[in-house]
Amino acid sequence: MTPPLLFENVPLGRIRRSTIGGPAHLPVDAEGAFSLEVQAHQTVVVLGDEASGVNLLGGLVLALDRVPEGRVLVLGTEVATLDRLAQLAFRRKLGYLPAGDGLLQNLSLRDNIRLPLRFGSDYRPKDIEGRVDVILAQLRLTRVADRRPAQTNAEERRRAALGRALAFDPDLVVLEEPFDGLTERAAAELLELARGGEVSEGGRRTVFVTGQDLPALLRRRVDRQVRIRRGRVDVPA
Amino acid sequence: MLGLLIAVGRGTARWLARVGALARFAFEALASLPTLPGAGRRVAARVLLNQLRFTALQAVGLIVLLSGVLSYLTISATITQLSRVGASELIGELMVVVIVRELGPLLTALAVVSRSGTAITAELATNTVLGEVRALEGLGIDPYHYLVLPRLFGCVVSVSVLIVLFDVIAVFGGFLAAVAFGDMSGARYLGIVLSNLTTQDVVLTMVKGLVFGAVIGVIPSYEGLSVREGPTEIPQAVIRGTVGSIVVIFLFAALIVGALQ
Repeated sequence: MTPPLLFENVPLGRIRRSTIGGPAHLPVDAEGAFSLEVQAHQTVVVLGDEASGVNLLGGLVLALDRVPEGRVLVLGTEVATLDRLAQLAFRRKLGYLPAGDGLLQNLSLRDNIRLPLRFGSDYRPKDIEGRVDVILAQLRLTRVADRRPAQTNAEERRRAALGRALAFDPDLVVLEEPFDGLTERAAAELLELARGGEVSEGGRRTVFVTGQDLPALLRRRVDRQVRIRRGRVDVPA
Repeated sequence: MLGLLIAVGRGTARWLARVGALARFAFEALASLPTLPGAGRRVAARVLLNQLRFTALQAVGLIVLLSGVLSYLTISATITQLSRVGASELIGELMVVVIVRELGPLLTALAVVSRSGTAITAELATNTVLGEVRALEGLGIDPYHYLVLPRLFGCVVSVSVLIVLFDVIAVFGGFLAAVAFGDMSGARYLGIVLSNLTTQDVVLTMVKGLVFGAVIGVIPSYEGLSVREGPTEIPQAVIRGTVGSIVVIFLFAALIVGALQ
């Protein structure tokens, strides 16, 4: 059975941006290629420093970036080979929390969570409002839901970004540097929300996390940690 | 000498690459219109309404002021001279050719570039630097649909409407000046202006509204989304977007006049 996420011989040093807008990538000091398999219901964390290429992995999963060789299979599909419209549609099946939150500053937290549902689904407005209210309550954001990101603290912004990522209740969630600046308690809570509860095989969702460090409290809560160095898996962290 | 040639060649190649990228951006933006999902149309329409509020509604005061003062200055300065040589009838032609046909669209476009073109570049550049545009794509939302198309159509509609407003106010300002400074009755002034106004002038004004509006919608959006280096590049992007829009608007104005002659 194909795992929900598979990296096969991906040369991180030769990455190219394929989005319309976005900052340039920092150069990666890479030798060799990156390979990794993430099994269903697992929470896998990849750690590495800035030059290791760890911050490129999330973009590759969503085909926001491309590489000339190797492949990334997501839920059995090589997203990078789809045309642009199909890529956009495919991304709605995934949950994505980008580094730095990526919340739209001119929208309230509620509108940020509402946006993907309103733009990318045919749900009735009433159903969308119901879903948004449930997410806000789950994330304990109801009180600050109508504030803009700049009027809230880092923890609330991160939870709102996670709420937006979970809007379509995806099976696979990609989290980029989700724990930066959070207390261990807040980080643990965020991870539990991303996992979506427990089933017999592990978490209800498959969670793929990238970052530079993992809070000590979370080390026992993840199924697998790997460390990346110079663009390839180094040794299990 | 060779060094100079290499420098000129490199500069030209960079400029051509930029023009090519801009043309591709404009084409892709327009080509994305039919793919706007049904649900997304309502959201995009809301962004469009916001853009119309910022670009058209909030610019009304500035356009009224520019147009009123320009027509007042033009007519009050020329009507006395024209009356002396018995050519006061030319006031209508002057009004239509100089202000309604040429200066009206040009000044309106410049006013919109200075207000909204700069704002569009700064906003989209900030969105880009903060990772919001990349996040949108990661969520399956096309930035062309959510960010570019509403601004493009907002600018086209706004510039067209504001040009009409500019021309109406200009004619009215000229009317006041003609009555105040000349020996012409208001009815005669309006009669002369209207007799000089042809269907071609109206069509031309609408064409300029579409073209100038599209330029202001596309170039600042492109420059805003092209920021790569971080916040320090935002002012440079605003300058590139503003200067680029002004240059292209003047070139199109000259091309349209040239094509009609």
